[in-house]
Amino acid sequence: MALKEEKVIVIDPDKCTGCHSCEMACSMKHFGKTHSHFSRIRIQEFREVNTFIPVTCQACEDAPCIKVCPMNARIRLESGAVVTNEDKCIGCRACVYACPFGAPVVNPDNGKTMSCDLCMEDEMGPWCVKACTLQQALKFVNARDAARAKGRDMARIIAEDYMPPKQDSDEFAFSFSV
Amino acid sequence: MADFHGWRGQRLRLDMTNLTYEIEKLPMEYYKKWVGGRGFNTDVCYHETWQGMDPLDPAAPLCFGSGPLAGTFAPLSGRTTVSAVSPMTSSVMGTEIHGHGDTNMGGAFGPAMKYAGYDQIIVKGKAAKPTWVYIYDDKVEFRDAGHLWGLGSKKTTIKIVEELGDPDIRVSCIGPAGENLVKFSCVINNMSASGGRTGMGCVMGSKNLKAIAINGTKPITAADPDKFAKQAWDLRERIHTSPSAIRRRAEGSMDLFDVGNAIGINAYKNAFAGYMPNIEKVYGGMQWAEQFLFRRKGCWSCPVSCGRYTLIKEGKWAGYHCGGPEMESNCNLGCRIASYDLAGVNVLCGVVNDLGMDSISCGAALSWTMECFEKGYLTEEDTGGIRLEWADIETSLKVADMIAHRQGFGDILAEGNVRVANKLGKGLDCVPHCRGLEHISVDPRITMGFSLGYAMSTRGSDHLKNYSCLEFPGCARSRAYQIDEIFGPEGSKKFWEDFPKEMTELDTKPVLCTWSEKNKCVADLVSCCCQAIGSWGGAGSWKEAYYPLFKIITGTDMTDDELFKAAERVINTERAIWLRNGSGIQDDTHVDRFFDEGVVDGPYKGKKIDREKWAWAQQEYYKCHGWDNYGFISPEKAKELGIEEIIPDMEKGKKICIDWLKSGKTPTTPVFIPETFRK
Repeated sequence: MALKEEKVIVIDPDKCTGCHSCEMACSMKHFGKTHSHFSRIRIQEFREVNTFIPVTCQACEDAPCIKVCPMNARIRLESGAVVTNEDKCIGCRACVYACPFGAPVVNPDNGKTMSCDLCMEDEMGPWCVKACTLQQALKFVNARDAARAKGRDMARIIAEDYMPPKQDSDEFAFSFSV
Repeated sequence: MADFHGWRGQRLRLDMTNLTYEIEKLPMEYYKKWVGGRGFNTDVCYHETWQGMDPLDPAAPLCFGSGPLAGTFAPLSGRTTVSAVSPMTSSVMGTEIHGHGDTNMGGAFGPAMKYAGYDQIIVKGKAAKPTWVYIYDDKVEFRDAGHLWGLGSKKTTIKIVEELGDPDIRVSCIGPAGENLVKFSCVINNMSASGGRTGMGCVMGSKNLKAIAINGTKPITAADPDKFAKQAWDLRERIHTSPSAIRRRAEGSMDLFDVGNAIGINAYKNAFAGYMPNIEKVYGGMQWAEQFLFRRKGCWSCPVSCGRYTLIKEGKWAGYHCGGPEMESNCNLGCRIASYDLAGVNVLCGVVNDLGMDSISCGAALSWTMECFEKGYLTEEDTGGIRLEWADIETSLKVADMIAHRQGFGDILAEGNVRVANKLGKGLDCVPHCRGLEHISVDPRITMGFSLGYAMSTRGSDHLKNYSCLEFPGCARSRAYQIDEIFGPEGSKKFWEDFPKEMTELDTKPVLCTWSEKNKCVADLVSCCCQAIGSWGGAGSWKEAYYPLFKIITGTDMTDDELFKAAERVINTERAIWLRNGSGIQDDTHVDRFFDEGVVDGPYKGKKIDREKWAWAQQEYYKCHGWDNYGFISPEKAKELGIEEIIPDMEKGKKICIDWLKSGKTPTTPVFIPETFRK
């Protein structure tokens, strides 16, 4: 199977400040009202150590929720997002239990599950990502780049051991002009 | 019943004596009159208290208020106002005369109140034993707090979260200081977001209320959701692209140390010295972040997240981590006690926060003691063997703990500097305060807008009631259009002619302050952050930032002028709480030292307040408000604002005020009162 070219939401928990702007944006976008319970992205708080983990659907390649759904209500959209077909969903929450992140959320209005649809029809892109513009804990990138960017961050830490000492670039500026 | 959007249409009343509660529905007219958070609180604090009320009387109300934007997609909307009659503040007529107190905290408590379905929580009565209250939607439970009594604010929150098994519960609690009725103890929510000033924790402690834990399931609707989302995005975008917001995010409120030091206004050595040499090199936001920043911490729905979380990586305190500090904490527990040991100062901030004390007043208590030792007013005999010297963090930590637990000399300091000095009869000239509340970190002799603001503030000396940031040259330049709006074409021409020297003069300040305090008040009413329209100001003024959001979410027909008028109503009502106790012109002033002693060092070395000019500015400010020359609200003004009920109180209060002024009695601390009023 070819690696998908779709865009995904990448999470960097180290940058999350626990402001819940993403939840407010998500519930506003999809329901026109605000409450964390109506958001498809959830901030899991470990406030005593000021650590916050944003949890949202990762649109897994091999998604357990799709397999486990007895009604075949979990479907993959063309955008790559995995969402619930509410007409079929019976609200059994099997997808929630099967998900290694516990990402699907139960819609308090009808008891059916819901998960991130990447706000694909919106020009602005995912509202949660936009709401996190300053903190950059959420980013919307190509799936391929997501892994590459993370790998480069890690490599930079390792690479420091292998680099020559830092130089003042002006002092050693060579001119190749004739 | 009208359909409420943004607002909830009801408030919760808790009776701690009988452990009962009542949900009170409110009509739309009430909302239009008082708008939100600080407004509701002020209404209750005036109308449900009386002249001369003891702040610790069980019947005294303690109010938690949130506004129409709290808990919505509107950015910066995580603020909550806590109000009561303040045990901390006092009039110069006597330390037992109290007035209005309120404090505004970040975190997520206000939004949680809204999700549970309440715009306001009013606590009255006194529980027989330590109690905490659990609120989830319509369910209200009074639970025993025996096992929480004595715990710090962080541990209390952790225990409650564990007990309920709900990590999303929002807890407002007090630390040991509040339990022991330390006059400047605070209310803390979300582990470290504190409502510090004016001793609201003391009032909470007096009710034997350790904590309120709240959340709910009710989403907040908007009258026009699409339009509201668009407007909220508009403001968010403005914040995302604002250089000052980006800087505030990177450096926290400590970005202000740069400006502060350039002007030389930071509170050094008990706030009387003025200028602290090389302060920005030690305390500056970037330096701080490089050394101590573990992660940023955001209030509810705030894209900026200026809050900090400290981790001390090396040295004696290595491994200590805590929420905070803000600029004021660092300045008052650091510069004010003349310390350059930033790691130690941060530990002190964390400890004071956890004990549940206002870091400003606690810093003031420590620095007062230090100055008194330096001047020889105090000796070890007075303090039970403790000697506090400038910059002594170790002893400060010890004394802070003694204050919170009211042990030894700490028991005396816990009363707040004005009462301490009066009780001991020593160091009366070492208390920089207005209305019994100690100054914050900005010197009142240099930036005169802040100076006038401290004196006129409705809760005692504080910048956050009268946030006249536009007097700072950088702010004025970047927000020049606001200057035009405030002063009109003629006034603004004069403003720019004197610019930037006008910062240190009183000329433009009565007008500027009158506008600024309403600007700030609107932010409090709608439950939004004042910093965004104040110190970093990237959101614009109240008119661009908050009014459109307020109008769209509530669907109200209130015009911008009516909202501004509501802010004026709230400010006047808060002042009326002071005025009915007789506290007028004699309290709208500074202590003598700021008129007599110049700033010790820095760019404005030698600067002091001019008495004549001050007397002029006082009267001008009253005129801007439509008050009389004693600072009392005139019957016409009261009628204009729709608060006629205060008129008889004003008459009684004015009599007390004039009687005191003519009696020739000495004020609690030496302050400047224009001679003509004392004859």
